[in-house]
Amino acid sequence: MFDRAMRRKLFSHGMTILTGATVVIVLIPLFWIIYESALLGGSVFSLGFFTQNIPAPCSAHTGVTCSTEGVGSAIQGTVYLLLLASLYSVPVGLGAAIFAVEYGGQRAFARAISMAADVLSGVPSIVAGMFIYALLIVYEPAIVFSVFSGSLALGVIMLPIVMRTSEEALRTIPHSVREAALALGISRWKTSVRIILVGALPGVLTGVLLSIARAAGEAAPLLLLDNGSLHPCLSVDTVCQSLSLTIYLGATSASSNYVAIAWGAALLLIIIILGLSIVSQLVLNRTARKWGQGS
Amino acid sequence: MSSNQTGMNAPAANQSDTIQRKKGGRGTMIAVIAVVVVILLILVVGYSAGWFKSSNSTTNNSGCTSPASTTISGAGSTLVAPLMDAWALSYSASTVNYAAVGSGAGISDITGKTVDFGASDAPLNPAQRTAIPSPGVLTIPESIGAAVPIYNLPSLSAPLKFTGQVLAAIYLEDITNWNDSALQAINPGVTLPNAAIVVVHRSDGSGTTFAFSSFLSASNATWKNTLGHATTINWPSGEVGSKGNSGVTATVKSTVDAIGYVDINYALTNAVSFGAVQNPAGNYIVANLTNIASAVKDSNPVFPTPTGDWYNFTVENAPGAQDYPIATFTYLFVYTDLGVAYSTYTMDKAQNLVNLLLWMVGDQTGQGQTFAAQNYYVPLSTAAMAFDTSEINSITFNGAKITTCVPS
Amino acid sequence: MTRGNPFPTFPSRKTRAVSKWGDRIFLVLTAVAAAGLIAVLVALVVVLYHGSLPTINALGLNFLYTLTWNPQGNVYGIVPFAIGTLLTSAIALLLAIPLSIGAAIFLTQHAPTWLREPVAQVIQLLAAIPSVVYGFWGLIVLVPIMRYDVDPILANVLGWTGWFSGRHIGLDVLTASVVLSIMTVPTITAISKDSILAVPRSQKEAALSLGATDWEVSRRAVIPYARSGIIAGIVLGLGRALGETMAVTLVIGNANVIPTSLFSQGQTIASLIANDFFEQETPLELPALLEAALFLLIITLAVNIVARWIQARFQAGRAVGAE
Repeated sequence: MFDRAMRRKLFSHGMTILTGATVVIVLIPLFWIIYESALLGGSVFSLGFFTQNIPAPCSAHTGVTCSTEGVGSAIQGTVYLLLLASLYSVPVGLGAAIFAVEYGGQRAFARAISMAADVLSGVPSIVAGMFIYALLIVYEPAIVFSVFSGSLALGVIMLPIVMRTSEEALRTIPHSVREAALALGISRWKTSVRIILVGALPGVLTGVLLSIARAAGEAAPLLLLDNGSLHPCLSVDTVCQSLSLTIYLGATSASSNYVAIAWGAALLLIIIILGLSIVSQLVLNRTARKWGQGS
Repeated sequence: MSSNQTGMNAPAANQSDTIQRKKGGRGTMIAVIAVVVVILLILVVGYSAGWFKSSNSTTNNSGCTSPASTTISGAGSTLVAPLMDAWALSYSASTVNYAAVGSGAGISDITGKTVDFGASDAPLNPAQRTAIPSPGVLTIPESIGAAVPIYNLPSLSAPLKFTGQVLAAIYLEDITNWNDSALQAINPGVTLPNAAIVVVHRSDGSGTTFAFSSFLSASNATWKNTLGHATTINWPSGEVGSKGNSGVTATVKSTVDAIGYVDINYALTNAVSFGAVQNPAGNYIVANLTNIASAVKDSNPVFPTPTGDWYNFTVENAPGAQDYPIATFTYLFVYTDLGVAYSTYTMDKAQNLVNLLLWMVGDQTGQGQTFAAQNYYVPLSTAAMAFDTSEINSITFNGAKITTCVPS
Repeated sequence: MTRGNPFPTFPSRKTRAVSKWGDRIFLVLTAVAAAGLIAVLVALVVVLYHGSLPTINALGLNFLYTLTWNPQGNVYGIVPFAIGTLLTSAIALLLAIPLSIGAAIFLTQHAPTWLREPVAQVIQLLAAIPSVVYGFWGLIVLVPIMRYDVDPILANVLGWTGWFSGRHIGLDVLTASVVLSIMTVPTITAISKDSILAVPRSQKEAALSLGATDWEVSRRAVIPYARSGIIAGIVLGLGRALGETMAVTLVIGNANVIPTSLFSQGQTIASLIANDFFEQETPLELPALLEAALFLLIITLAVNIVARWIQARFQAGRAVGAE
């Protein structure tokens, strides 16, 4: 009854269903995490949650209520970290990308720089943190535990992302543009900055946003370099709290209010990162065809 | 792509469609928006960080003037972390940052001069003392805590009884089940569950481990000869390591059949059951602030010299009938001369640090020691406070005495 | 500039001089930035090497094959953590590969075209969730489920293999592997999907015209063609899994020993560094951790380079065989 062709066909249908199931299975953890964060994190969201600093640890039990407000100092610290890290990584990444594309073109050293960036992007974040620690402990021990050194480590992580996305954005601009500008007598640097870069700006910005989204979630280097403060950030040479470490604090604490705050911080981080990713995707998609005649 | 071939012959007014640089094109707009957002962010961060507020010297109640606020950083013991955090939140003359990274790290941080003070429940061992660079540090006992055995056995209501021998056997994995005969013998009438004990210890260098293992060494010869007492122990395999007092508390709280050792404040703050421990007098004592304080008093502590060897200083196994046997001081380590130790220090910062230290060990209204009891720590005795005050006052800045102005 | 002159005029001498300097400065600035990027990469290796010299000198190659890590006794061996890293990554890949490739096949071969990109993007959101959130969720949500629901079933069904022995508390190598596999899925899925999409239609059409079923087309015509791309994706996913820290350190149990079963508490190189960084009680401990970091760096870099090389070969092969 089931001849071979029938069996093969049934098997094929079965595999279709199975592969469809894998898509569902793969998505379950995603929705699960988002659901838990929304449920448990959303319940602590309040104005005070975003403005107050971290309260004393306590566990709710008979007769004791605990404050779950807030992550104000963590938000501030994260913003501080990301601003500083962008300050290093964006100019260097963008500059390296411009160098590779404008002066390197298709030559070997341009590919070498791209490869270096790709290799750098595979460095684990904890290794980047150890690197900065080992570097600063020798040259500048006073600042080794500070938001400054944390931002250096985040800069190392952001750098290759900025460089590669900028490079790809720059490469979408057709050569004809460069040739036309040069033929008109516009100097190379003006061409690069005022024509090419401006044209590639959406792609570059996408890269910056994506790298910021990635760095916002990093906790490992901060655990080593920028750990332990509960206060708002006052200067670059002090330790600042951060959203990612707030989550770690909740994970390693027995106090129920810290756990609740950690869920709130996790939800906030997810919202920020997803928001940045979605915005950068929209920017990228809408401008993908701008210089569509090819590179 | 073909338009540039016409460029030669066509009049210059022909807008080639590959170069479309309109004024205020999308790229420029995005750039402008980005810059504005960044500036706004910097302003917001700066405002909330108080950049726009002037930081003047403050004149406090006693009429003296303390210098402008600076940031003082400390690191170390997780045992004292809740108290440190309470202090950091209420001390306004400076900004105090404390990283609860464990006593072991506190010691290495102060040795590496990456912090202004180190905090540890374990005193410096001889090797660590020699490793401290000149001019050497003072050991300042600043609070009192106690290691208690916490466990997660929902079926039990009354505190379980432990002896040092039994605890050592559990951590040596000689006793592996809760209903072991040794445990049953000291807990007659209690129905112990038939479950494997999940042993939790500190994975980081810990003064609480030091205090706990010192007690186990004194109670159990095998322990003394194999694992000894230190901030890090070569634990047998099969046990769970957690970071910090809070990590151990969290692990035990969420893992049924687990046992751990933490400071009493963590057990009380987080409503975790802890057991009674047998003291040298033979009584099973459930730790509380009273019997910890009496333990310290009854062991008649004679403090070594501030820069001397504190390694054998202990308040454990006090002789009194109701004394809790695993009490411990916690210590601060501060350099004797701040100008010599740190190249970046100014007299202002030295004054700020000394003011903070005096405030921590003072018990005037609103000063450090008044926070102890409400956070489940035992405050220092008058004698201890006097000892501390005199050694803090001996801290110099490049040889010069430091004028103090302690807030209240 | 000029009116009606069909030939563009050159800028004046002065503007030429200024732009020459402008060009030079710009060239130098961007070259410095590019050099900076490479310098960071080189510095990573050099600084970590320099920092680990005390242990390299004291222990030499022993570090690579000593089976224990005991700072108090000055015994430092990377083996327990290398094993922990390999074990967690291997199991993570074992779980992730079938799921990712299955998802890639479904999205490219069976799903309607309008559904493909959006679902692929959603799967990529898995990569956007920070590692520490995975660890936190893993600790609070997954660990109890593993301990009370999943582990007993595994112990019953697969206990005979010897891999599921011992008491299970949920904080163990297995849970860490599960969390890692979730984190590796987006990488493998994305690259597999792109590799499969790069297979020329002619392959698929040829197989269909020979009477193959959909599954046979995938299995015999499409996947083999995309194989090196998929392998590159797997190796890249491996590279990411090797370096994961926060997700692993919160659920693996943090025991510095060689795991004897999947229910054992263990430690990976990354989680060792995160967990033990603040020790530094014995003088060799910090250099030993730096050496561990160097070891991890070299391994992840090597894995990444291999992955990119496979990918480059796949692109080259595709260019040759493209229609």
